[in-house]
Amino acid sequence: MENLFTILFIGLWLGGIYGLVSIGLTLIFGVIRITNFAHGEVLMVGMYGTYLAYGWLGLNPYLAVVVVVPVMFVFGVLIQRVLMQPLLDEPLMQMFASFGLLMFLQNLVLMLTRGASLGIPSSGRADNLSIAGINLSLGHVLAFVASTVIVIALHFFLRHTMMGKAIRAVTQDKRAAATMGINVNRIYRLTFGLGTAITGVASVFLTPIYTLSPSIGGDFVLAAFAVVVLGGMGSIWGAYFAGLIIGVTEAAAGFYIDPALKSAVWFLIFIIVLIVRPSGLLGTVGAEEVGLREQH
Amino acid sequence: MSSISGISNGSPAATDMQRLRRAAVHEPFGRIVGKYLFGLSLALVPFGLLFNDYYSINILTFVYLMAGLACAWNIIGGFGGQFSLAHGVFFAAGAYIPAQFYLKYGVSPWLTAPAAAAVVATAAVLISWPTFRLRGPFFAIATMALNEVAAVLANYSDSLTGGARGLLIPFKASFSHMIFVERWKYCALMFAFMALTLAVVVVIRQSRLGYYLLAVREDEDSARASGVNVLAVKLWGMGISAALTSVGGTLFAMFIRFLDPPTLLSLPDIGVKFALLSLIGGIGTVWGPVLGAFFIIPAENFIRASLGGLPGAHLVVLGLLLMLAALFLKKGIVGAAAALWRRVRATP
Repeated sequence: MENLFTILFIGLWLGGIYGLVSIGLTLIFGVIRITNFAHGEVLMVGMYGTYLAYGWLGLNPYLAVVVVVPVMFVFGVLIQRVLMQPLLDEPLMQMFASFGLLMFLQNLVLMLTRGASLGIPSSGRADNLSIAGINLSLGHVLAFVASTVIVIALHFFLRHTMMGKAIRAVTQDKRAAATMGINVNRIYRLTFGLGTAITGVASVFLTPIYTLSPSIGGDFVLAAFAVVVLGGMGSIWGAYFAGLIIGVTEAAAGFYIDPALKSAVWFLIFIIVLIVRPSGLLGTVGAEEVGLREQH
Repeated sequence: MSSISGISNGSPAATDMQRLRRAAVHEPFGRIVGKYLFGLSLALVPFGLLFNDYYSINILTFVYLMAGLACAWNIIGGFGGQFSLAHGVFFAAGAYIPAQFYLKYGVSPWLTAPAAAAVVATAAVLISWPTFRLRGPFFAIATMALNEVAAVLANYSDSLTGGARGLLIPFKASFSHMIFVERWKYCALMFAFMALTLAVVVVIRQSRLGYYLLAVREDEDSARASGVNVLAVKLWGMGISAALTSVGGTLFAMFIRFLDPPTLLSLPDIGVKFALLSLIGGIGTVWGPVLGAFFIIPAENFIRASLGGLPGAHLVVLGLLLMLAALFLKKGIVGAAAALWRRVRATP
């Protein structure tokens, strides 16, 4: 019982991070259906950006949000405009292009930093909290809170603002949305930018917890795709809960099976869920096909 | 009647139809064999020129190997349109199984290579059976997860793969060990592998299976409606592709003689590389992947040699190239050359 509680606890904090990383991808892959394999690298760039803001401008790592998020938004709009917009109806070429972006960003950072790993000292370790006898870092708690706040804010944005409604309209039917006077390409750019900006928020909250390396995106990209698909394509709350489920699964697998195999366990579960119920937990059955149907 | 055909002959739609009809008719057997042999002899030219150059022949060896592997990926990835990222797993299994049988029981890789290929093909079919329910990006993500599972397991199971430390195959040169002192022998071996893979590809392209794979790629639902057993076609394509990839893995193992998970299951260097070479050369064409390998592998080595001080520089260039190809060179070198050829012929 004691163990179960600990596992649940650790899993939830871990899940908060997975959720945080995946919400941006929910917009990009889940809502506008663009296969962006470079999502982990976008996160990585954000983390290095946070580090720069901390190292050069001397900002508190969490205050770096004010610099990193707008820059990431512009970065996302650029990726969509230059790379993805010409490939909207070609999922195969999107995969190639985003893998190109992945290799480019990862190795560009490797080239610039020459592989030195960076980290923000002290924070995290110094600010440990103790709740119910379990030690956890302040960084994890903040990440969890940030993830929850973003999900609630995004939910209201998509449901109750004109822009949010326009985004959902474009997802459902590009052509009909265009006839209603929605500038489809603009909505795509904004959504991609928004997804990247939210990933920027995630990177700010992850920077104090993790040691930075150019390949750190690889640790998150599959988790992010898994969370988006498990939660149901385009479902914000689905992503939030799927993140928690994967976190708990990883913690449980690490405890009961072997820490070295924990990711293999949930990868396998992910593959099985993907095959058995591709519409995910909170997704509409058949919705996973929407973005793949030809729309002109 | 004649006036109708006269009108339609002049319109672009008619020329497209004619081209399609011409493509659908089988080429004469002699011409297919002739093209195949001509292509192979062209690919042999650098072998003759670089015979004594130790550095260059190593690169050429790798070019032949990667060309064969990209051709193998192209069967299911290009013809069948299934963006598989699991080929690194087939490659790694093809490397590990014969290597372990050689190290533990001294069995010659010549014997284990076909056996491993059969095992890997069977495993690939069993794994793909459920996975082929997924389409497009979902299939790619599932196969990517498979590659990651394999990487975790390969790192974990010390007794099977040597774990993170890796496996070292001692240098004991002999034909039956598939280990040679002379580098050109490896090169000839890889060339033979490429020739074998290409022969399979040429045969598939002309066969019913090849046309079915193309039909599935173009429109799965239409193919099914026309009576194509879509799942069976995909599974055959995957099985053949995986078997050839496994053979490539065996040759790689005996050439490099050091195996570890980061080398064998790296996505940018193995799994995605096969797809990348196919795209650059011409995805879904017979010779595209070969051209891709002949273009990319030496370029990569050149960049690595000239920008050696900067880690990852060659992958920066490769990533940029991949983005540009996805945007502007969707049909690869082969497609661009064909378009150029049509334009040259059209202008008198």
